[in-house]
Amino acid sequence: MIKSSIVDAVLNEALKTGGDFSELYLQDTETNTVTMIDGKVENANYQRKVGAGVRVLKGTRSAYAYSADTDEAALLACAKAAASALKGTKEFEAKKICVDRIGTSWAKIPFSEIDNAKRIELMRKGTNAAKAYSDEITQVVANYMDCDHRTRVYNSEGVHAEDRRPRVRTAIQAVAMANGEAQTGSSSPGYGMGFEAYTDKIDIENVGKEAAKTAVTMLHAPECPAGTVPVVIDGGFGGVILHEACVHGLEATSVGRGNSVFCGKLNQQIASPVVNAVDDGTLPGEWGSMHYDDEGNPAQRNLLIENGILKSYLVDILGSRLMNHPVTGSGRRQDYTYAPTSRMTNTFFAPGKDDEEEMLRTMGDGLFAAKMGGGSVNPLTGEFNFAVGEGYWVKDGKILCPVRGATLIGKGAEVLMKIDRIGKNMWMAPGMCGSQSGSIPTNVGQPRIRVSEIVVGGKGGAL
Amino acid sequence: MMTYEQFKDACFRCALENGCESAEVYTASSDGFSVNVLNAEIIKYAVERSKGLNLRVLFDGKTGYAYTEVFEDPESLVAHAIDNAKAIENTDESPMQGACEYPEITKKPNPVVDLSEEEKIDLALAMERDTLAADARVNRMGYCSVDTGVIETHISNTLGLNADSTERVSYAVLAPILRDGEEEHESYSFKFGPEMTEYAGIIKESIENALMQFNASAVDSGEYRILLRNDAAGDLLSAFSSMFFAERVQKGLSLLGGKLGQPIASEAVTIVDDPFEADNPRAFDAEGVPSVLTSVVEKGVLKSYLYNLKSARKDGVASTSNAGRMGPAGAVTTAPSNFYIGKGEKSFDELRTALGNGLIITELSGLHAGLNPISGDFSLIAKGQLAENGEIVRSVDQITVAGNFLALMQGIEAVGSDLRFGPPMSGRIGCPSLLIGKLVVSGK
Repeated sequence: MIKSSIVDAVLNEALKTGGDFSELYLQDTETNTVTMIDGKVENANYQRKVGAGVRVLKGTRSAYAYSADTDEAALLACAKAAASALKGTKEFEAKKICVDRIGTSWAKIPFSEIDNAKRIELMRKGTNAAKAYSDEITQVVANYMDCDHRTRVYNSEGVHAEDRRPRVRTAIQAVAMANGEAQTGSSSPGYGMGFEAYTDKIDIENVGKEAAKTAVTMLHAPECPAGTVPVVIDGGFGGVILHEACVHGLEATSVGRGNSVFCGKLNQQIASPVVNAVDDGTLPGEWGSMHYDDEGNPAQRNLLIENGILKSYLVDILGSRLMNHPVTGSGRRQDYTYAPTSRMTNTFFAPGKDDEEEMLRTMGDGLFAAKMGGGSVNPLTGEFNFAVGEGYWVKDGKILCPVRGATLIGKGAEVLMKIDRIGKNMWMAPGMCGSQSGSIPTNVGQPRIRVSEIVVGGKGGAL
Repeated sequence: MMTYEQFKDACFRCALENGCESAEVYTASSDGFSVNVLNAEIIKYAVERSKGLNLRVLFDGKTGYAYTEVFEDPESLVAHAIDNAKAIENTDESPMQGACEYPEITKKPNPVVDLSEEEKIDLALAMERDTLAADARVNRMGYCSVDTGVIETHISNTLGLNADSTERVSYAVLAPILRDGEEEHESYSFKFGPEMTEYAGIIKESIENALMQFNASAVDSGEYRILLRNDAAGDLLSAFSSMFFAERVQKGLSLLGGKLGQPIASEAVTIVDDPFEADNPRAFDAEGVPSVLTSVVEKGVLKSYLYNLKSARKDGVASTSNAGRMGPAGAVTTAPSNFYIGKGEKSFDELRTALGNGLIITELSGLHAGLNPISGDFSLIAKGQLAENGEIVRSVDQITVAGNFLALMQGIEAVGSDLRFGPPMSGRIGCPSLLIGKLVVSGK
């Protein structure tokens, strides 16, 4: 615990040079990881990261100082360092803490009750299931992670918020090899829960099997043809297309400085009328969820796009000053070494009304992206790219064969208008999102969707 | 709270008392300053101080790790490390480096680090001013920053190893946004080290790279001859560098397994890992192993993998001083030092002439997703220019290029003389421009 007199002193020290807002962030995170390769534990690690950061704002200017030391002297030194960015005299006094917001962990089984033997047993089950899928599986890499992330925020507007965010994730990668060729498949579920995730949500054997299935399927797949065709993208991690092609461009980080194709588009049509999109940080136990964000504001459900109309951006405290837009509970950061900025939580296309089979049947020739890999975007131009982890070529509305090595590229603003089908059944999948405030856990999600036309890259030659 | 020295000694004592054969600490502390400006104002200003200690113990022949940033309760840290060692099932030996001598290296002085905060802020403001003045089409800055830092690393263990190093780092980043009609484009340029105060070169480069993106369109899908510019080629080499790590080979995660002594690239290709490279020299790696120069590929023939102590012991060879860590909290892995394709004879313009009809690729994106270091396959979004008879005809965007890294290496027709190094991340990768065979391009 930290004495309230120290909090007061730090917040006021930070305001000494004319700042109008100051904030103290404290973090204490414990992480356990286990890596199993070829069925043997290769590595086990424990990390405890502890530190603090002090931020000062004056209008739209921001200064941040952080330290791994969290004693009174170190916190005051941070406050002084951040304040030194401004050259004025004190104008504001920090309010006494008057709002207490306490988020309690969603974990039913905390990680302190778990030993390495339990972690290893899971990895072993997943690995064995992957190997049992096929003789062509030559290697399996299983990574286990559990993490107890505790945050505390105090600010000069009298807010105190604490949150405790447990997270679990297992990533299994399978390698299939034959005739000097190698293909891989991976599956990596994650939740904002305690160890109970492995009984309530994650079937570890199925995780191993799914990874192996993709690797073996891709080993026997021809190269994907190259060209511009209709594409059906399946649910779950397929939602990465929304994440990259659109919502990065709705973050105050880019919109606040005029660097997004979606600037000035509130209440305008930015997507086809079948599109509804949401960012919801409140979903209990989900990978991207939190009770309070890293600026102490409550997590929210934000309706971003309604029937194709842009309804909201994702806005942090600094962004709200730049954009004159209310905060949306989107202030996030990897850890104390980053100042917070606007970020996503659990972001998804809401379920639509279309039939999942019909959209394949009526697509003609094109690609069915059953599993997506990662991607990236340039928010200024909206140019995005994604890897397809498991793809199938469709001819005359029928799946012809699996295809490997496909990439999808395009421009966000254009692709959103070309979505012509959204299915009924939505699910989500976890990822790590990298941006200005570091790498943070976010979910992406969608039902199965169809895009009428998109550039598909592959080395199977022109269509 | 204990001092760092007290804490370290207590960890060692506690580890040995609890049955560890040896114990090692890896400590990194950093002091940094960063300023980001926009419209002649500071928009971001950051001061950092961090210090963390990673304990590695050898217990019953197995290695366990534990990391902390709080120097209290050494018993608990040692208990975590021993617990993690007990979990290990891989029986490969994982030796620690003992006391040793280090080669003399000369690091270039970096006076930029010692500038006052005001001077660093003024430098960032001047960079913005000069970029805005350099071309009428520069509309605003997407990014403009000055970063400096001092990173002290200390490795010591109960076998008598004591290794210390101090890195004095600095870099300038600028990204002008150019506007012409309705189109806007941005391009990032970096400059590392003491020369960052002479930033005119990166202003020119970033503006040229942004201008190149205007009036671009896709080409028809098909096979094209490709000239990969040095920066794009370096990004690709960097993404595939883990293929050369012995630990990946030993685990069946690299297509280079069993290829030592065999040709894996065209004769034009030579690859070296050089820890002594003048702009970024180091005396030892992340395990305290004295630096050695390694010839990785000679005239296309694979000569050596990159080893740390553990992977070297398994293959019965000496470490190539390529132990790395993903930050101080991470376990020992493998990382290149200065890893680069040696330069060839031809200038970039001569390579363009030799290209004749084809595509010059100036930028590849999505490298974390659109390529697979295990299979060697890649399919990446690209930007560049279309060339006819060696002359640039127009700019190209919204295309992908796809191929296999090993096939690409074997198809290299010529290596340029324009060797360029990327930023010193976990390993610093260098590459000249490469005239490569055909790749499949997806576009219209």
